Amino acid sequence: MIWAKEETLNRNEIEILQLEKLKGTVAYIYDRVAPYRAKMDEAGVKPSHIESIKDLRKLPFTYKVDFRDNYPLGLFAVDKKDLVRFHASSGTTGKPTMVGYTKNDLEVWLNNVARIACMGGASSSDVAQIAFGYGTFTGALGLHGGLEKIGASVIPMSSGNTKKQIMFMQDLGVTLLVATPSYALHLGEEIRARGIDPEKDLKIKIGLFGGEGMTEPMRDEMHKIWGKGFLCTQNYGMSELCGPGVSGECEELVGMHINEDWFIAEVINPVTGEVLNEGETGELVITCLGKEALPLIRYRTGDLTKLMYEPCKCGRTTARMANLSGRADDMLVIRGVNVFPTQIEEVLLAIPEIGPHYEITVERKNHLDVMTIEVELTDDSLLDSYGKLSELEQKIGKGLKAQLGLATRIKLAAPFTLKRFEGKAKRVTDLRKDGL
Amino acid sequence: MISQLSVFVDNRPGSMANITEALSEAGYNIRAFATFDTPEFGILRLVVDKPTEAKEFLTSKGFVVRVQEVIGAELKDERGSLNYMLRKLADGNVNINYIYSFVIRSGKAPVMVLHTGETKEALKLLNEAKVTLVNDDEL
Repeated sequence: MIWAKEETLNRNEIEILQLEKLKGTVAYIYDRVAPYRAKMDEAGVKPSHIESIKDLRKLPFTYKVDFRDNYPLGLFAVDKKDLVRFHASSGTTGKPTMVGYTKNDLEVWLNNVARIACMGGASSSDVAQIAFGYGTFTGALGLHGGLEKIGASVIPMSSGNTKKQIMFMQDLGVTLLVATPSYALHLGEEIRARGIDPEKDLKIKIGLFGGEGMTEPMRDEMHKIWGKGFLCTQNYGMSELCGPGVSGECEELVGMHINEDWFIAEVINPVTGEVLNEGETGELVITCLGKEALPLIRYRTGDLTKLMYEPCKCGRTTARMANLSGRADDMLVIRGVNVFPTQIEEVLLAIPEIGPHYEITVERKNHLDVMTIEVELTDDSLLDSYGKLSELEQKIGKGLKAQLGLATRIKLAAPFTLKRFEGKAKRVTDLRKDGL
Repeated sequence: MISQLSVFVDNRPGSMANITEALSEAGYNIRAFATFDTPEFGILRLVVDKPTEAKEFLTSKGFVVRVQEVIGAELKDERGSLNYMLRKLADGNVNINYIYSFVIRSGKAPVMVLHTGETKEALKLLNEAKVTLVNDDEL
């Protein structure tokens, strides 16, 4: 089912709609958001300069660092009293990236998620178990609201507690699972290990996956674990843009359809900023149309992908973005949580017992991400006993948990044993291959 | 009391050899040496001649080193003497964190190095039991 008629407009109609909304958005942001107005003034662009879709290229980019520089609400275009919801995601350092919604924004957002859920095969007869972590993360409440909108029955399960997940799946006849793809694989294996065959013993037929990319090998694995008939799609979004609901795969599995009446997608060369052609891989840049609380123009997502404009067999005409092929920056996605090495560094530098050097290793064990952080011990007073050293490990782990919301493994190393770098440091080793 | 060096070591081949090599090259004499089976990292305990100087030296080479006072107890070289000492400490409710023995001292009685959280009490008990205690300068 196609949720909205805007998903089937022809290219010309889409562009007319986008241009009209873009003009409004640029005027709105220029009027209300001082940091962005300053950028436009510096670039010598006025709202009246936007006469065609191509004129978007005249506008300056917005970066994640702009959120930090204007923390907490400096990029907001409305007064706090007009907001009905806050969410937050990781920042590049200790401060999170704060996002907010007006009543209208929330309505638009959840409708966009409803579209994505429909693309992935969901309908009003589904019983949907949401195994994303709830909280300030947009994933859980986004899918929750979007699925309710289409009339599905939603179970706000959150992640973890495998036994309870299985009980609900069995007792309520769950048909649809929302999770990160790696958690879905992990859960599926746990279910099989308990002697349950998801294909025969459960009713789950649909998986809506997000929070991290799903590679094709992961999708193949998903079919092995959950059954051949399991329709598993992934969808894309990020808190800054609204949360999930920017784009999603339909059952044709030929890329993620972008909700183009709300988002204009560009792909650029991340170094030069030059806009690339259809089919060329580069950094995805998104302009949000008609957002009230937090309008964003040419937001640098950091995600690498390419765009495709050929109408899809499913009937949708919206542009599609390919599966993400990596990051333009050093952001890591660990168990669906975005992690910047700078966040880790900030915590480590505040601990006097260790030195400033560190190495991060990421692996996937039983489909779950494990992040190990090696640090060099410098404080000799801890050598009295092993207990003191393991207390230090725990203290570092706690600090990181508070900062990242993730458990990590800490490994103490002797001084001068970790790599030193001249120039740009490469402290992260990601051993995950194809997401498996 | 004996000055013991504690050195942080990674659990990987060569991490102990790096320390012994540095000490040998600089001409320090290692008199006792102990480490225990741990999963990720270890603390190497050693007794050397000129401990303060050796600490400075190892620190300058980039090692994390701590000097600590531990108890040195000389045992009679006869059956049951280790048990005798440990029983006395146990009866006095002193908990031993770790204990290890010296590398052979030619012509001299064996010495045990032990660390406890209750040093004062341990020294009293050992004196009462007439166990010979050893200091750095007597090694």
